[in-house]
Amino acid sequence: MTELAQAIVNGLQMGFLYALVAVGLTIIWGLMEMINFAHGEFLMLGMFGAWGLSAGLGLDPLLAIVPLGLAMFGFGVLVYRALMRRVQGGDPFTQIFATIGLLFLLQNAVVAGFTSDYRFVGDSLLARLSGAKLRLLGITFGVPLLAAAGLALLLFLALYLLIERTEFGLALQATSEDRDAARLVGIRPQRMFAIAWGLGAALVAIAGAILVNFFAVYPQVGLQFTVLAYAIVALGGFGSILGTLLAALVVGVIQSVTVVYLPPAFKDAFVFASYLLIGLFRPQGLFGRF
Amino acid sequence: MGRLALAVGAVAAILYPIPLQLQGTTYYQTVGFLVLINAMLGLGWNVIGGWAGQFDFGPQVFFGVGAYTAALLFVRLGLDAWLGLPAAVAVAVVVCALLTYPLTRLRGHYFAIATVAIWMIAQPIGATWEFIGGSQGLFIPVKPRASVAASALSLQFSGPTKALGYYYSALALFALTLALMALVERSKLGYYFRAIRDDQEAAEGIGIDSRLYKVLARSITAAVFAAAGVLYAFWALSVFPEQVLELNWSTLPIMATVVGGIGRLWGPVLGAVILIPIAQIMSTTLGTGPLAGRGIDLIVYGLIIVLIAAFRPTGLLSLPWGRWFRRRRPATPAPAP
Repeated sequence: MTELAQAIVNGLQMGFLYALVAVGLTIIWGLMEMINFAHGEFLMLGMFGAWGLSAGLGLDPLLAIVPLGLAMFGFGVLVYRALMRRVQGGDPFTQIFATIGLLFLLQNAVVAGFTSDYRFVGDSLLARLSGAKLRLLGITFGVPLLAAAGLALLLFLALYLLIERTEFGLALQATSEDRDAARLVGIRPQRMFAIAWGLGAALVAIAGAILVNFFAVYPQVGLQFTVLAYAIVALGGFGSILGTLLAALVVGVIQSVTVVYLPPAFKDAFVFASYLLIGLFRPQGLFGRF
Repeated sequence: MGRLALAVGAVAAILYPIPLQLQGTTYYQTVGFLVLINAMLGLGWNVIGGWAGQFDFGPQVFFGVGAYTAALLFVRLGLDAWLGLPAAVAVAVVVCALLTYPLTRLRGHYFAIATVAIWMIAQPIGATWEFIGGSQGLFIPVKPRASVAASALSLQFSGPTKALGYYYSALALFALTLALMALVERSKLGYYFRAIRDDQEAAEGIGIDSRLYKVLARSITAAVFAAAGVLYAFWALSVFPEQVLELNWSTLPIMATVVGGIGRLWGPVLGAVILIPIAQIMSTTLGTGPLAGRGIDLIVYGLIIVLIAAFRPTGLLSLPWGRWFRRRRPATPAPAP
C-alpha cells in the first residue's frame, strides 16, 4: 500500500515536469492547430544547451533557463517565419513533413556536432541535493525532484495567467478562434503565430534544462518526449492549458504505477493504451469541451 | 508513365547487378535490395497515406508481424519462406483489421497518434514475449541448399550469390506489389479511397462506408509491409524487436513517398531511388573519417524533406517535366509594326 502511494506521489512529481514539456505543444497544436513533430527536438536542444552552459561556463541548469528560454524563443519565431508560415495554409500533411524534416535536421546536426554519446550534468544545485529526502506519512520525497516539480508548477502557473488573464493571451486565443475576426479588431495573426511558436519552443527548452538533472542528454532523447507530449495534449483536450496539467499528472502516475507491477519496458505502453481507450470513448480528451 | 520508360526501367533493374556480380562486388546489389524494399514499403504506405489520406506512422508494426510470423513458421515448423509469406501476410491483415477498425473513429492527427500508440505498445510486447524470443528474438538458420533453384525456392541464399539472390527476390516482390497497386489505383477501391481523402462527408453521402474502406486501405498497407518483413527477415537471418520494429521502417518509405509524390503510383519508387542510395553513398565516401556515423545522411534527408514540404509538397513527379523537356520552339521576335 505504501509502495503504491509512493509510486503515485513520484508520478505526480514527474507529471509536473511533463506538463511543462507538453504545454508548448498545447499552444502550437491545441491553440494554433499547427502540428510540430520536432517538439522533442526543441527539448533536446534545451537539454544540450543546459549541458553546454554547465560544462563550459559552470552555469547551473536552473539558472540557464533564462538565457535558454530567450534563445529558444528566438529560434521558435525563426522556425515559424522561415518554414512553418509557408506550409501553414497547405494540406495538413505538409506541416507534418516539414516538422519531420526539421526533426531529422536538428537531431542529426547535433549528432554531427556532439556524437550520440550520453552526457550528464555533473555538478548542479539539484545534484548536490541528491541525498536529501523529506519523509511525510511514510512517503519519501526526494528533494531534487520535489524542487524541480515545484519550479515547473510555478512556470506553468505563470503561463496559465499569461494566456488566460492578459490582453496578449486573449489576443492569442482570439487568433485561434477566428483568424479573420481577430484581424478585424487589430490583431496581427502572423505575429501571434510567431509568438506562439516562440513560446512553445522556449517552454519546452526550459523543461529540457530542468530535465537534465534527471535524464541523460543525447541527440535522440527527444522522440520519447514528443510522443508523450502528443498523448498528454490529446488526453487533456485541445488547447486546454489546465487540461494539459491534469493529463500530464495522469500520465506521470500511470507510468510510475506501471513500473511497480510490470517490467519497465511497459512504462509507456500503458500511457498509450489509455490514450487509445480514452480516445475511442471520449475523443475530446479527458478535460476538453467540444 | 509511358510504356517505353517502363520497359527501359524494367530492363535496367534486371541488368543492373550483372556487371557488378561479374566484377565480384556485392555491395551495390545490397544497396539495390534496400532501394527495392523501401520502394515496396513506400508503395504500401501510399495506399493508406497517399490515397486514403490517413496519416499512418505505425505500419512498421506489420513489418514486424510479417517477419516474426514467417520466422516462427520456419524455425518451429520448418516451413519455407515462400510458404510462410502468404501466412505472414494473412496474419498481418487480420491483426491490422482488428486493430484499425476501432481507430477509424479518429481522424487526422488523432488517428496518426493512435497508430504511433499501437507501435509504442508493440515494442515492449515484442521485447518481453518469450514465445517469440523476447529481446533476443529469433535466429534463422541457413539450411544448405543443393542448387541455386533450391535456394530461390526457399529464399535462402548464401555465399557469393547471396546479395544477387536477394536483389532479384526483392525485385520480384517489388514488381508484384507495383502491379497490384496499379490495379488498385484504377479500381473502384482506389477511387473510394481517394474520395474519402478528398471529402469524407461527401464520400459517405454517396454511400461509401468510410470506416470499412479505411480498414481495407490500411490492410493493404499492412499486407505489403508484412511481405517485405518476411523478405528482410530471411536476408538478415534474424528477427528481433529493435530491428523489425525500428521507426525507420516507416519514416524512410514515407519520406520516399513524399519526395517522389504522395498519392502517385510512381512517387515512392522515384523517392526510394533518390533517397536510399544517399545513405549508402555517404557511408562509403565518409568511410572511417571524422564525420562517419554522424548522421550526415539523415541531415541531407531532413533538408530534402523540409525543402519539398516548403516548396513542392506534391513531390518531384508533380513538377512540369513534360514542359521542361519538350523541344523548345525557337523564339520568334514580334514582327515589327
